[in-house]
Amino acid sequence: MPSNQPKERVSIVRRVLRSPLLAPLNQAEAWSRLASALNPAWSLVESRARVVRVVDEAPGVRSLWLKPNRRFGGFQPGQHALLELEVNGARQGRCFSFSSAPGPDGLVRLTIKRKESGRVSAAAHALKPGQVVRLGRAQGAFAPRTPDQPLLMLAAGSGMTPMMSLLMAMANAGSGRDVVLVQSASTPGDLLFAAQLDELAARLPGLRRHAHASANRGRLDAPAIAALVPDWASREAMLCGPDGFMATVEAMYAQAGLADRLASESFGRRAAPVDPGAASHAVQFNGARFDVASGQSLLDGAEAAGLQPRFGCRRGICRTCQCRKLGGTVLNQLTGQLSGPGEELIQLCISTPQSALELAP
Amino acid sequence: MTTKTRLYGDELAAFESELDALRVETLAQVGEADARHIRRMRGFVQGSAIAGRGLLMFGWGPVSWVAGVLALATAKIVENMEIGHNVMHGQYDWMNDPSLHSATYEWDIVCDGDHWRHSHNVEHHDHTNVIGKDHDFGYGMLRLSDQQRWKKATLLQPLWYALLAMNFQWGVAIHDIKIGRFLKGRMPRAEFRERMRPFLRKAGRQLFKDYVLFPALAFWQWPRVLLGNLAANLIRNLWTNAIIFCGHFTEQVQTYTPREVADETRGQWYLRQIQGSSNLEGSRLFHLLTGELSHQIEHHLFPDLPAPRYVQMAPRVREICARYGVHYNTGGFWKQYGGVLARIFRYALPPRRRLAPA
Repeated sequence: MPSNQPKERVSIVRRVLRSPLLAPLNQAEAWSRLASALNPAWSLVESRARVVRVVDEAPGVRSLWLKPNRRFGGFQPGQHALLELEVNGARQGRCFSFSSAPGPDGLVRLTIKRKESGRVSAAAHALKPGQVVRLGRAQGAFAPRTPDQPLLMLAAGSGMTPMMSLLMAMANAGSGRDVVLVQSASTPGDLLFAAQLDELAARLPGLRRHAHASANRGRLDAPAIAALVPDWASREAMLCGPDGFMATVEAMYAQAGLADRLASESFGRRAAPVDPGAASHAVQFNGARFDVASGQSLLDGAEAAGLQPRFGCRRGICRTCQCRKLGGTVLNQLTGQLSGPGEELIQLCISTPQSALELAP
Repeated sequence: MTTKTRLYGDELAAFESELDALRVETLAQVGEADARHIRRMRGFVQGSAIAGRGLLMFGWGPVSWVAGVLALATAKIVENMEIGHNVMHGQYDWMNDPSLHSATYEWDIVCDGDHWRHSHNVEHHDHTNVIGKDHDFGYGMLRLSDQQRWKKATLLQPLWYALLAMNFQWGVAIHDIKIGRFLKGRMPRAEFRERMRPFLRKAGRQLFKDYVLFPALAFWQWPRVLLGNLAANLIRNLWTNAIIFCGHFTEQVQTYTPREVADETRGQWYLRQIQGSSNLEGSRLFHLLTGELSHQIEHHLFPDLPAPRYVQMAPRVREICARYGVHYNTGGFWKQYGGVLARIFRYALPPRRRLAPA
């Protein structure tokens, strides 16, 4: 078939070019290291970004404006990405939401709250303009489901970051959508982006804002939300914030039978409490051996045993912690599905053992 | 000849916990400096390899040829010993850097990485100097202890040794295939074929790279590149062989029988590692070119700690050994290598022909 011939020839050329016989001349990694020696932001294989400026947003909260390289590939408002930093020589990553809208200058903003024991957030706060970090490709699909229905945004603490990205994108698009934003923080001084929201409000005629300082008025709970937004039940809702706040709002929607109107994005780990009577299973991982209880994630178990597996989102999205299971059965805590007994790829953060396991990276 | 020291009871437990404590203390210091070191080594290897191959391909005259050979040999030596060997031990796994991870690293030598991870990390490091279990002891070719059987061919072992040293990367590469077992009919043909496959694949790639691809890229300069690569591989082979033989086959090194090490505790394992290994003394540059295998004793005690830490641990290990009366085998390169050569010659003779030590 003559029509197939050119296609086949390309594939042979490709196969030759990719042949291990040509190593190291055809190894992107090797060339990439050379390129990085000239400019640390250059890479043929990794998505990296240069810190352009740092801005303090509130006590303990700092924004990084980053210029990603060509491997980054852009993002949608509401998405997040894995930021990888070196902490005392070891590569560590955490997911952060973008807090800016995609713009023509290609800059992205991450807004990071410094956590007491968070090594990555501390290292992120220590970054200076000009430094280069690894920034994974954008992930997630936190966005309004409809283009024009009235919207309610519920944000607490640094849960404001994806909302800010969405609002900025709406303003850039000249949207007149009816949006109510309920923003909560512990004190008025901790409310993120106050001045920038004033500016946005001038460009978004449909935006109404409610700020809630829990130090003055108590925690933002279901009655408080209903009092602030009487028509909450008729709005499409978006939720982001700390675990406790999210659980409260999710319960409120579930009670009203409106769980499907609520889209949520959670930060950090929502570790399931482990039943103390649960069966414990021996896990072999990369030469190490430790026990993990049914119900506990393999990632938590490995960390409790002193290992440092790579991880990102800790909720089964980013696949940073993915590894090969050689044998044994695991339960996927997200889907509730049992795995087969044989070799397959699993995510450590959402897998819990149902039998003894053998894992390889 | 030094005698084997054995420790018992509380003394053994105290010895064990002192070494454990040293390990914990050092592990707590591992961090940025070690990450910087291994990356700098990788940069050096890459630079040295490019310089060496560049001089061989584009250079003219004997001076640039010799310089090219030396640069390429240095790149191969540092890559094999300072990066490959140490990374494949998992010394840098904590960095979470996939390009420096023990499970996936592949080195510039004909030995397949997975074969090495088994024959070296498992067999040699666990069963160090246990005759019959540690197949690195004599590499299945040399008789270096009276526990090994003497045959007529053993008389020629200085010659075998010279051949092994010159072709050391091949010796290492076929090590885990266990050809001897196949020839004696103790391995099914299917298993043998399975074991040969990764070796043939890796060897093919290495031969193609050094003796086809790079010479071809040099067009009419191809003989210069081909001979240069051959010379660089020869230098690397002789050097790595000398360093590695100094690690376990020097005169004062002890050997063990499988029965001696049955039910061994961690403390006894430590003792065997110390008495089955020997160190080399030299300058900082010398240590670097050995991939810190000049600190073989520390490496065998703590194979998963980043190698540059051995330099800092050595005086402490030595001091602990002195207090417990354990012989710490160390010396300059020529003294230790002389001992290795003496051992090769001595055990070439059958036991009864030799005079008993006075």
